[in-house]
Amino acid sequence: MNALLTDAVFDPIRIPLDDWFNDFINWLTFNYRPTFQAMKVPVEALLDGVSAVLLWLPPIAFIALVAIMAWRVAGWRIGALAAVSFTLIGMVGLWDLTMVTLSMVAASVVVCLIIGLPLGILAARSDRFQGGLRPVLDVMQTTPAFVYLVPVVMLFSIGTVAGVIATIIFALPPLIRLTDLGIRQVPEDVIEAAEAFGSSEREVLFKVRLPLALPTIMAGVNQTIMLALSMVVIAALIGAGGLGRPVVEGLNALRIGQAGIGGLAIVLLAIVLDRLTQAFGEGGAAKRG
Amino acid sequence: MIRVESLHKVFGPKPDEALRLLAEGRTKDEIREATGDVIGVQDVSFELKPGEFFVIMGLSGSGKSTLLRCINRLIAPTSGRVWLQTDDGEIDVAQAGPSELRRLRQEHLAMVFQRFGLLPHRTVRDNVAYGLEVQRVGHAERVRRADETLEMVGLGGWGDALPSALSGGMQQRVGLARALAAGGKVLLMDEPFSALDPLIKMQMQEEMIRLQRQLGRTIIFITHDLDEALRLGDRIAIMDDGRFVQVGVPETIVTEPRTPYVADFVAHADPTGVITAGTVAVPPEHPRVDELRREPGSRVLSHRTQAEVEIEVADDGRVLGMRADGAGAELVPIDTLLAEEAPTSRYRDRAAVVHADRTLRTLLAARNVCNLPVLVVDDEERLIGLVTEREIIHAIIEKRGHNGDTNGVTA
Repeated sequence: MNALLTDAVFDPIRIPLDDWFNDFINWLTFNYRPTFQAMKVPVEALLDGVSAVLLWLPPIAFIALVAIMAWRVAGWRIGALAAVSFTLIGMVGLWDLTMVTLSMVAASVVVCLIIGLPLGILAARSDRFQGGLRPVLDVMQTTPAFVYLVPVVMLFSIGTVAGVIATIIFALPPLIRLTDLGIRQVPEDVIEAAEAFGSSEREVLFKVRLPLALPTIMAGVNQTIMLALSMVVIAALIGAGGLGRPVVEGLNALRIGQAGIGGLAIVLLAIVLDRLTQAFGEGGAAKRG
Repeated sequence: MIRVESLHKVFGPKPDEALRLLAEGRTKDEIREATGDVIGVQDVSFELKPGEFFVIMGLSGSGKSTLLRCINRLIAPTSGRVWLQTDDGEIDVAQAGPSELRRLRQEHLAMVFQRFGLLPHRTVRDNVAYGLEVQRVGHAERVRRADETLEMVGLGGWGDALPSALSGGMQQRVGLARALAAGGKVLLMDEPFSALDPLIKMQMQEEMIRLQRQLGRTIIFITHDLDEALRLGDRIAIMDDGRFVQVGVPETIVTEPRTPYVADFVAHADPTGVITAGTVAVPPEHPRVDELRREPGSRVLSHRTQAEVEIEVADDGRVLGMRADGAGAELVPIDTLLAEEAPTSRYRDRAAVVHADRTLRTLLAARNVCNLPVLVVDDEERLIGLVTEREIIHAIIEKRGHNGDTNGVTA
């Protein structure tokens, strides 16, 4: 009651921002929904392609592939960890859902790379562009996901693709920031040397800046993957498939066990992906000495 | 080969204004006051012949690194020209378009850096091949030339290592190999050995002299170390406050420093490898040399500090003989003496003959084995003068010491 009374103090200068926001989204939906729907097409194609492959692959083959890759990149411990984790996921009956989640994560990360790397490179080249981009990234990263779920649904409808798009918005900023940072941290003397030998700007970028920024960019990819995984449950709220679904259903029906194994699978997936991408980044760092 | 004309570099907001004020004869402080500009390089001109080793020496802040970077336009000069001799005639680097500039850098202007500037993620071989890579040379040819150049700088077999596995000296050899492999005739070297230990630095300097004899590149070498400049340079430019204050061969720099700034540098340099025997020796006409008597076709001389030693010189200048302690002394070329084992006490029956182009260091070595005046001769074995401790000490003190006694320095 008290709170209401205090709010009344501002009545003379109150602005109906909530209405404006409403109107803006309605206007956007009314006029541009086809545009947003069209944006779904490439994401959907990517998602379908990845999930088709992952669901087609026999689990044994998938486990073997991931284990071997992890062993080559990160050593036998991580290889064993990957094998055990995915076997366990299969044993608790969540294989298909895990593959769907993995394809959602993969699709979001690929789109994040396609958008994030060029933006990061541009931000590193121009202080003004970086200055303009920074508040946008701040908003993307700090706005609670629940807030933009509604507009996402209105513009993109419900479903897995909408979930992927919400995931991209949330997971993109660290990749841009760390690409920018990594490129800016490349020592000036190395760039000068490359220029002195007559390298074009393109050659400096691809032969010097990006390779030397790679460990930092990989840290950004790692962050993006982790954030994408953390969106799995939230994306399920707007009808996305995958491991979020048993968690949300378990939550609604108070089926602790169902939510529990869903959570376990997400955690296992996160650990394996984290160790793998970290090893990629450190591989680059170790090479640099 | 390369000709730099009236090069200026102004850092700051109003470079044109600063140049105008400079032309009006205003001082740098006045210009900084008026425009906020700093003059990095002021009116530098020089011309290098193919194969010349040109050293630019100055302290940090003297503008030497800026000048070097203006030559390959890593820093764009504010005004002036940098003419480079190419197969297509002379090209002005300062006016070249972007793609032409890249081509000039690729094919003509290789550079070596103080902090090496190696690519840490590439192997030594791929670093050395970098210049060829941007020149679009094929892979096999690149590898062949990179390995060849690594062999040349003494790093054969290191091609697969990463730069981080190498010591500082070895990393700079890689930097040098990268520049040599690129194939350009002009080599820009920005304090390449300054970051190295003194011993390694010496080795690299010797290596550089050897390579230069072999390859004959035109080199512009920046250093803050006068000894290094004297050891390496065919010609040396002393740079102070953005300008060349003196340009000359090493010996002139040491013996005739033209400003107190140069003299100050020279005071701390080691002259023994620079000053030539010809300038150290006292000629027969000098008051310190006495003519004891004339004989038909010759005369007998002695040096005041070793009056007991008689030297007979033919009228055409050839030395006929030397007598000390009542006996004739054998005249022996210095290299023969030095090749032998050093005697327990200095010879009184053998005299060293040294060519005028040899250095003070050789004279010291000669006096070390031989207690008779050293005979300094020209190409035709004619006597130019005599050297005793007196001349050596004089050379060391006078040519180095400027403080309190400007005589003989400004002469």
